[in-house]
Amino acid sequence: MSRGNAISLVIVVAIALIAIAAASILHDGLSSRAKPTALETMLARNARHLAIPAGARKLQNPAAETPENLRDARLHFADHCAICHANDGSGDTPIGRNLYPKPPDLRREETQKLADGELFWIIENGVRFTGMPAFGGAPGSEQDSWKLVRFLRHLPQLSDEERMEMERYNPKGPEDLEEEQEENDFLRGAPMQQKPEGAHHH
Amino acid sequence: MKTSTRTKLYGLLAIAAFVASVALAHGDKKHVVGTLEKINADSVVVKTAAGKSVEVKLVATTIYVWHAGNEDRPAKVADLAVGDRVVIHAAPKGEALEAYEVKFSGPRPLLPKS
Repeated sequence: MSRGNAISLVIVVAIALIAIAAASILHDGLSSRAKPTALETMLARNARHLAIPAGARKLQNPAAETPENLRDARLHFADHCAICHANDGSGDTPIGRNLYPKPPDLRREETQKLADGELFWIIENGVRFTGMPAFGGAPGSEQDSWKLVRFLRHLPQLSDEERMEMERYNPKGPEDLEEEQEENDFLRGAPMQQKPEGAHHH
Repeated sequence: MKTSTRTKLYGLLAIAAFVASVALAHGDKKHVVGTLEKINADSVVVKTAAGKSVEVKLVATTIYVWHAGNEDRPAKVADLAVGDRVVIHAAPKGEALEAYEVKFSGPRPLLPKS
């Protein structure tokens, strides 16, 4: 094959790949409801790994594993993180399910195998091109982030009592609070209130 | 790794990150409120205020909560009884509803703390 033909072939292949990528992107209107492919997930994880400074992985967690630190972190997580990650770390929330990429299940090996320093770095600095913001920079944030790392390690063993306590600290809007009150009133014996079809959801 | 190589790698990864497959997202959670009409091995049937019978699947990850007074306590599927008042938070899975949490109360003494 001549040099000219080879260059033409490369250009044609490149254009075809771009067309395929464009079609894939535009097929669902760039919707964040899509689920990343396994290849994309693998590439993104590797990109994240490369982006975390090597020194961060070697950091040791200065927050002791005490019941007080774990409770602080648990309630902090319920207030700030659970809206996307869910109290149990599954990511199964209305926002988490519809982000692109989806928040990882924090209980699974993909997250648990990260070093403490990596988890700390991600909490402090966020992850670009995802819904994960940087929580660092504020006074006291480092201490809070290290405590959160302790809690992330505890997530696979989260008890029902801990999860129920967290629910009381989840941010709720007026409608959610009203609905919760109505449901608890019903459980305590109040008459059932009939609502229009589809009204019970969030 | 050289800076230029790393830059190229990030560039490729950025392009790859834009290539996505299509998948359906789960619907929002729904609340099923009513009294327990039937308890099956893997589902419950709830009689709602509208008089409808709604079946909700129970799965391994379903959480059970006993509610009495202002207190919530962890419970088990075996603690459910026909006639109990229930508030079920469930997610639509195809045509079915799958329970995430079953909160219930009934005319029984408060369960001992587990």
